[in-house]
Amino acid sequence: MECVVQGIIETKHVEALEVLLQGLSGVPKEHVRVHELCLKSGPNLGVVPSEVRLLCDLTQPTPSWTIRHVGGAMRGAGAEQISVLVRTIVESKASKNVLHYFYTIGYKLDHELLKVGFAFRFHRGAQITVTVTSANKMQRLHATDDVVAVANGIQLVEITAPAAADNYNDVVSAVTAFCEYLAPLLHLSKPGHSTGTVATAAAAAASLMSSGGGKTV
Amino acid sequence: MPPVKWLMHWHPSPGATLNSQILTEACSCAEALGGTKDGRWKTSIFFYRPITRDGSAGQLSPDVPRELLGVALHERPGLYFSIVRAQHIVLQADAAFPQVMEKLQSYRARVSLNFEGIQYQMGDFCLRIGKCVPNNSETLRGILMEFDSMFNIFSANNRKVEYYPLSSIEKSRAIMEDFFEVWQETVAKKSLPGRFIHVETNFSEYHLSDQYSFQHTALQYAACLQPLMAAVSARG
Repeated sequence: MECVVQGIIETKHVEALEVLLQGLSGVPKEHVRVHELCLKSGPNLGVVPSEVRLLCDLTQPTPSWTIRHVGGAMRGAGAEQISVLVRTIVESKASKNVLHYFYTIGYKLDHELLKVGFAFRFHRGAQITVTVTSANKMQRLHATDDVVAVANGIQLVEITAPAAADNYNDVVSAVTAFCEYLAPLLHLSKPGHSTGTVATAAAAAASLMSSGGGKTV
Repeated sequence: MPPVKWLMHWHPSPGATLNSQILTEACSCAEALGGTKDGRWKTSIFFYRPITRDGSAGQLSPDVPRELLGVALHERPGLYFSIVRAQHIVLQADAAFPQVMEKLQSYRARVSLNFEGIQYQMGDFCLRIGKCVPNNSETLRGILMEFDSMFNIFSANNRKVEYYPLSSIEKSRAIMEDFFEVWQETVAKKSLPGRFIHVETNFSEYHLSDQYSFQHTALQYAACLQPLMAAVSARG
């Protein structure tokens, strides 16, 4: 399972966010360029309709493929009270014929996106990954070199951390604590509960850029 | 890169029955050839069937395969293979793949066959002999063996400089045939009611190259199912 929160930020403040994340994490950023294909089960296949994501990492000289199943969110009164979503995730690496494989076994392409941006991976109470990406639509099927932004001027920020049944409370605390550092620049909340951009972002970004990066935190 | 492997299954003579005595005799042949026991091995094949919302396969699109095979190889437990025989596709994934399938609830693994037995080291060759049994019973469904080879490269002054697996199927054919011939002669001396047959798999149908990979091994296991099932039906 994993803990996850999401938020959005205006592209003009992304550089300041990068400076802040660099200062907080102390690790170099990684480039992200992922072709994400969302497939859905065909008519009548499966107990219930199902959805699977195929992620092709395009930053490698030889693109690598991952199958990703995002499970349902944890429910219950406890889950309602925390500001982080806890959900099951199952991932498997796969050979490059994985898209053909899923088409063959009865899955159909629902939509595809190209996500471009950067990520920071570091340990801070939990193994935290922050990804900042712009989502792009393909003009033609699978044409990752011919894309247009889904939302001009807006980028998606996602914070995830792996968790297990016996430690997710600690991981939720670590993620929540980390989100507070980013609060001047963006609101982070459970996926699907976006609270928009924050009014203080411009001032916080200006402050970060003038201070030379993260040292004030 | 794994070495080229040949997989063989025991084909009983007409009227003969399959029994564990054949397995014992095959193991004694390995020892007669100088093989030393080097642990046990187990490979499994899982049979997945599609699940439909109303429980009737007739409601599915005719293009949806009625069977997927999952293969877990003993030599690479971190990998998992899914084979769609009808459409000639072999997918290589990692050991979490069965969990993905379980979450999707579109195909379910209903039964599995285990291939398990003893591994022998025999000079440059590694030989594995074992039985095929369903996961839910002890009924003997077949006897198999597989072997692969490391190959020595000698420099001009005849000093061994490299030791690497044979990875080209074509280039290794002669050496594999030679070993299999020696093996067959040894087994023949036992006058057993049947013989081992090499499972010929058409790898090019699956778009696999001459460079041997774990996908080739998974396909050889899938290919041996048909003769094994045929032998079971012939025995009634």
